[in-house]
Amino acid sequence: MKESEIKYHIQMKQGDVGRYVLLPGDPGRCDLIAQSFDDAKLVASNREYRTFTGTLLGEKVSVTSTGIGGPSTAIAVEELIQIGADTFIRVGTSGGMQPEQIPGELAICLAAIRDEGTTMHYMPPEFPAVADMETTLAIREAAEKLHVPYRVGITQSKDSFYGQHQPERMPIADRLQQRWKAWKMGGAICSEMEASTLFVLGNIYRKRTGGVMLIAANQESKDPNAGVVEKLDDVIAVAIESLKILIEHDRRAAGK
Amino acid sequence: MAVRNLDGTQHHIHLKAGDIGGYVLLPGDPGRCEVIAKYFDEPQFVAQNREYVTYTGTLLGEKVSVTSTGIGCPSTAIAVEELAAIGAHTFIRVGTSGGIQPGTHTGDVAVVTGAIRDEGTSLHYMPVEFPAVADMDVVLALKAGAERAGIPYRLGITQSKDSFYGEIEPERMPVSEHLLERWKAWVMGGAVCSEMESAVLFILSSMYRKRASGVMLMSCSMDMAPKTEAEIAEAASLFDIHRAIRTAIEGLKVLIQNDKAKK
Repeated sequence: MKESEIKYHIQMKQGDVGRYVLLPGDPGRCDLIAQSFDDAKLVASNREYRTFTGTLLGEKVSVTSTGIGGPSTAIAVEELIQIGADTFIRVGTSGGMQPEQIPGELAICLAAIRDEGTTMHYMPPEFPAVADMETTLAIREAAEKLHVPYRVGITQSKDSFYGQHQPERMPIADRLQQRWKAWKMGGAICSEMEASTLFVLGNIYRKRTGGVMLIAANQESKDPNAGVVEKLDDVIAVAIESLKILIEHDRRAAGK
Repeated sequence: MAVRNLDGTQHHIHLKAGDIGGYVLLPGDPGRCEVIAKYFDEPQFVAQNREYVTYTGTLLGEKVSVTSTGIGCPSTAIAVEELAAIGAHTFIRVGTSGGIQPGTHTGDVAVVTGAIRDEGTSLHYMPVEFPAVADMDVVLALKAGAERAGIPYRLGITQSKDSFYGEIEPERMPVSEHLLERWKAWVMGGAVCSEMESAVLFILSSMYRKRASGVMLMSCSMDMAPKTEAEIAEAASLFDIHRAIRTAIEGLKVLIQNDKAKK
């Protein structure tokens, strides 16, 4: 495969993206995230893959949507790596899993539960889906700097949205509920649908990956008045700041 | 939580609250406990039963302990359950391992960020999809410890297996194809070392909200195997457990300082 070729799904070639890429699930959010870049331009839009490229601190950066779930995320990450991306931060929304989590807080994903099918096409399930330490630290530093409340921990990456939200109506209800209980007891802090695929591919291809999620709601909350937060400002601000921290760090490491 | 004896001690480790510090180093080999305890201030032998030997002392004025786990996750799970029940909050595994990635030199250490759950014990606790992941602050402290001790290190994932000879001599096992195929996957996934206890330590630590990581002394990867007599002698001298112990002790000091600063 040549880097100069236009990649089949993302419809981009080498040069179209920076090495740093933010990965939201929703194509509609790319426009919003790109507003935080300097000189952002729409580069491509095909299926659920929409990409803007701009700069931060003068360094080329991009945002590409993955669509929902591991299958479309794996395609995006494979093709982005082929055209030169090496640092990925997933930015998204998620549900809280621990009773004390308040909607509006952020979850910084250290690792992911591989509760999905895609990564089994790459790696036996015993292999841990862990994020890159340097990237995770940069996200934590960004949250501290911007005074956004956060927690660092494990995310559940699942294949079925409705299996999580309405397990009782599924033929395998007991299994879903039993496993949800195990994830909670294990200390998982959020539930979303893409991180584990990103992390496993990051390990295979030796690329840096991390994730920051808005806790949009918390079905486990002790507080019956805990509402739903859909404002993405904080999670986007932290993701952008994390990239700046990594860019500066990389420049120092390269002696620039 | 765990099972207690009539004298109030935990069933297997023969320890009760107060016998250990919050910070516990976990070697596999009971014979290494005394060696490690010599790095503590005022180390005292506390208990011994089966493969579980414990010494307690101090570092920077903070109470710390070392307890051996024996080989493998079954005995490690028992040690961690019982230590957590009597107040341990931070675990650092210290051991030996095989280096996996090409270019690994004998005597380098691995600072462990996560573990491949290639074992049976943690499945009695948690479905296989749950990641065995280390605590980030402990990892950072151990990384700083390696830098302070001047020991070359790799940060990464360990394979925690149940069968030592299945890794060393897979070709003679009835399930050889399965073992070889999986080993290839772990190498491609970037695993840095292979040992036998980390996965269950990490799963239990996530469940009980404790902190854990590990420092493993590595033997060289296959491509770096020593050939001449001089190389063989050099590798033998570098495969020195004190390199991992010094890293763990320096890392533990960094962690104790960081924890005190947070208070």
